[in-house]
Amino acid sequence: MRKAYLILMLSLQFVCFSQNRQLLYNFTSIPQSSLVNPGADVSYKYYFGIPVLSGISANVGSSSFSAYDLFANNGVDFNDKVRNIVNNSSNKDKAQVNEQLELFSGGFRVGGEDSQSYVSFGVYQEFDFLMYVPKDPAIFALYGNKDYVGKSFNLADINVRAEVLSVLHVGFHKKLSEKFVLGGRAKLYSSGANATSTRNSGFIYTTQIPGTPNLYTQIISSNLELRTSGLAKFTKDEYEGNVAEDIAHNTFFNGSLGLGLDAGFTYYFRDNLQFTASIIDLGFVNQSKDIETITYKGNYRYEGANPIFEFTNDPEDVFDDFEKAIPRDTLYNKYTTWRPTKLYSSVQYSFGESRSDEECNCKASAKKRYLNAIGGQMFAMTMPNEPFIAFTAFYRRSIFEKLDFKATYTLDSYSSKNIGLGLSGTIGKVNIYALVDNVLEYRDVSKANSLAFQFGINFIVPESED
Amino acid sequence: MKANILNRIPKILVFAFLFFSCSSDLDFDQTKDLRLEPVFVANLAYFNVAATQLINDGSPQVVSDVQSFDAFKDEFFRDNLVKAEFDFEVENTIVRAFRIEMLLLDANDQTLEANSYSVPAYSAGSNVIKFPTEVYENQRLDLLKQTVKLKFIVAMESGPPLDEHSKGNLKFRSSANVYMVIE
Repeated sequence: MRKAYLILMLSLQFVCFSQNRQLLYNFTSIPQSSLVNPGADVSYKYYFGIPVLSGISANVGSSSFSAYDLFANNGVDFNDKVRNIVNNSSNKDKAQVNEQLELFSGGFRVGGEDSQSYVSFGVYQEFDFLMYVPKDPAIFALYGNKDYVGKSFNLADINVRAEVLSVLHVGFHKKLSEKFVLGGRAKLYSSGANATSTRNSGFIYTTQIPGTPNLYTQIISSNLELRTSGLAKFTKDEYEGNVAEDIAHNTFFNGSLGLGLDAGFTYYFRDNLQFTASIIDLGFVNQSKDIETITYKGNYRYEGANPIFEFTNDPEDVFDDFEKAIPRDTLYNKYTTWRPTKLYSSVQYSFGESRSDEECNCKASAKKRYLNAIGGQMFAMTMPNEPFIAFTAFYRRSIFEKLDFKATYTLDSYSSKNIGLGLSGTIGKVNIYALVDNVLEYRDVSKANSLAFQFGINFIVPESED
Repeated sequence: MKANILNRIPKILVFAFLFFSCSSDLDFDQTKDLRLEPVFVANLAYFNVAATQLINDGSPQVVSDVQSFDAFKDEFFRDNLVKAEFDFEVENTIVRAFRIEMLLLDANDQTLEANSYSVPAYSAGSNVIKFPTEVYENQRLDLLKQTVKLKFIVAMESGPPLDEHSKGNLKFRSSANVYMVIE
């Protein structure tokens, strides 16, 4: 029990990245921006990511409390902190963690010199965690029902999902015209571990109804389900091994497989007015390896002991009745999980024409370069309850020919003062980028409700170098 | 090579998290102090005996029943229970006086504790009696935790005869407040 709560609290702690990558989105000097829009206007002769260092990103977000609220070393009793957080949270508050690590990636132009078709590919590993604050069950565990007679504790508040997976992807994008870039990406998912408990319902209800024979009317109606894949063997007593190693092995070599699709485009109304949109991770995983589903389903009405003073009277066992009414069942059915699907869109207006230092850009197709761009972005992601939505305003500037800067202001359910800064620079053929979200919170990260960062190193041979 | 990459992942993650190092002083050991102190209310026992079930010529009469009570079979509940309070309420609308006994029995049917409640005969008006709360702590709680059965004795004292037309009921209701500390 205690362990369970610890795990719950600790995992809450690490769960706070929204998956919004507002800084990377449409930051086209970074090849990885095609991971958030396969139709991004990215061009190269070829590139490859430095293995393991090409794309590292992590997001942590918690909408109703920060690490400081829970773990501050300030003399306040830990239990008071937990109670405060539960009291100040609602079942719509959530904690999220997302981590991605690119193992390798690369891309090249296909066709001749004048071709504007590009292929990109790679493998990355991803960890996702999402949990809503289980407000009612937490109150029940913290306070009991004595002061909550008449309240129905909602078991649907238990809503959590977690997954570790690897993704092998191949993408293609093509400039169909000067105005239009279209791209798509196919993904093969391999899920090493999944735990999903998002379709719960039921209640625990204690009330007093005049005229009924007993003092209280007490009903538990339970429809709880936890589906796991790739985890069952770790819970067995005879398991001897290294959980992390085994999950990593399963993630890359023996996972539950799934398929997904990304698609996106970039459209220029004018040279300096651009619209983009993309859909990412439209896909599913067919959870089939080492699956185990645990359910507690049934209804139970607790009456207490009830002597009836008759001779033919079988004694009743209250707790046995409970276990019969709401049994723990273990099932071994395959199940399908949908990937959290993301939608991005942006509008960008550019101004301030660049006066290139280069003598002459003799290519007929040379486009005007603008020094500044401003615009807005929208992000939406599917979640078990309501979708997550964020709005971003951004400013982007070319500081030098090969050094770009992007600043964002993002509004979402985690924060209304999220300022992000990103830099992407190219020295020779080496491209380095670093994107940091919620920079105001870095004064004291422990008080942040959400944080995200990404960085990576690529080797790029640009298109102009033929 | 692949194993190498896998080994590097945690190191890189740790490195990445070092980015978050400007931070207030946090103390993760506090989780050891986590202490849940819920208080639950629950029904304990109830019965409702009609006068017509006690047809009687006016002499004393005793009926009893044993109910198994396996709440303490659950180790988690037994280990974390620190206090219990039982409340009893009796409503008597039968023209006879009663003595109600509730006995706690252990696995060998030995009586651990016996509580007795006297109920006067009904004359007119309301006859609801709320008995003082029984508080179980320390040694008394230890005895309670050995309980596996509850025995109820209803002893009817002498008085007017009861037949199939006699009116009234003896209603017994009880509840428990359960104080738990989970560490």
